[in-house]
Amino acid sequence: MRQSILQSDVDARGLVIDPRTKLLLLITMAVFVLGSVGIAQLSFINPVLCLIPFCLLLLSRRIKVAVVSLLIYALIYLVTMLVMPHTTGLINFLLLGTSVVVMRLLPGILTGMYVLSSTTVSEFTAAMQRMHITEKLTIPLSVMFRFFPTVADEFSSINDAMLMRGVSFGGGNVGKMLEYRLVPLMTCSVKIGEELSAAALTRGLGGSVRRTNVCRIGFHLADAVVITLCAAPYAGLLLSRCGVL
Amino acid sequence: MNNKLNAKDLINVGIFTAVYFVLVFAVAMLGVIPIFMPLLCVIVPIIGGVPFMLFLTKVKKFGMILIMSILMGILMLLTGMGYYAIIVGLVSGLIAEFVYKGGGYKSASKAVLTSGLFSIWIIGNYIPLFTNIEGYFATRQSFGQEYIDALTGLMPAWMCPVLLVAAFISGIIGGLFGRALLKKHFAKAGIV
Repeated sequence: MRQSILQSDVDARGLVIDPRTKLLLLITMAVFVLGSVGIAQLSFINPVLCLIPFCLLLLSRRIKVAVVSLLIYALIYLVTMLVMPHTTGLINFLLLGTSVVVMRLLPGILTGMYVLSSTTVSEFTAAMQRMHITEKLTIPLSVMFRFFPTVADEFSSINDAMLMRGVSFGGGNVGKMLEYRLVPLMTCSVKIGEELSAAALTRGLGGSVRRTNVCRIGFHLADAVVITLCAAPYAGLLLSRCGVL
Repeated sequence: MNNKLNAKDLINVGIFTAVYFVLVFAVAMLGVIPIFMPLLCVIVPIIGGVPFMLFLTKVKKFGMILIMSILMGILMLLTGMGYYAIIVGLVSGLIAEFVYKGGGYKSASKAVLTSGLFSIWIIGNYIPLFTNIEGYFATRQSFGQEYIDALTGLMPAWMCPVLLVAAFISGIIGGLFGRALLKKHFAKAGIV
């Protein structure tokens, strides 16, 4: 299987930050960039937040992804600022759609990519254990994190197979498109699930005793920087609610 | 039989939530086009019905549907849809759980009903559109006035109960669709 961007490669990663910091970053990005909860006086904070995933991707040696996406982001930003005010109608709508998707979603997606690609399941479990989150949520969550890349991988393989059989928009079997993709995906997911359960059993997951974990997680300087940056918009929001800003 | 959730159950929850979420996420990308925004309420439950019905065949203990519902809420929070889906998911997941439990975790008609009830979580994503539409768009100026106008026109207050019913009914349709697929494919392959 080829190495995908979503899978963590433990040997070749640069800066390591704590999974809990990553979680905070993910939530902050979701609330302030994707959800755009923000206030006018602090509008400068969003671009700063958007830069975090690029920096982190660079620091964790995913240089190609970081540079390419930064270029895309800059390009769309320029188009939105310079070209869009001069267009109307359909072109404006298309440009708008692209710019919304890219400007709002790209930083979030990159953060997600960074978190998934730089966190091992063990580290994630260790962090969850430290936060005293119940196993009933931790196990499904860690399976999910492990499983997203698999779903994407399987789906693209199924897609290739179905293209070959002509089950696609151009192939004349449009009615079967949904069924012929969903069913194989479900089937292999169930199979993978059974294998994962067996693997988890051998590792003592779900046992009655407390599991130990070799991962060393903890907060360092880099965590402090990221946490401070993440705390800023919350503080701003709080201050504005209190009427200070 | 042991009624506590073990690792195998929890792993099943994780896997099906992942598949469900990927499908929902792929479909929800259509929401960039205004007319698809209310339609998502119909499309998502129908597509999601397939993995959900297969998931229900694995559910034999109390709590699995509820956990999946909460996880979907958490994922919605992480993908920037706000926290309402967690609250709605908590309630609808619990109701769905009790209904399926009422059928002894194997009744087929109750399973279809459960699929409908579970699908109600999606309403959580629309709540900010009704309770605070100015606030919703004040933070979404980047979408442009045309998008805002189109969406405001599509979402008058009476749409809220309509969407609720729509989600429920399409959840049931999705459940029936999923069950038909189950019969056709998965039973034959020995997966159910």
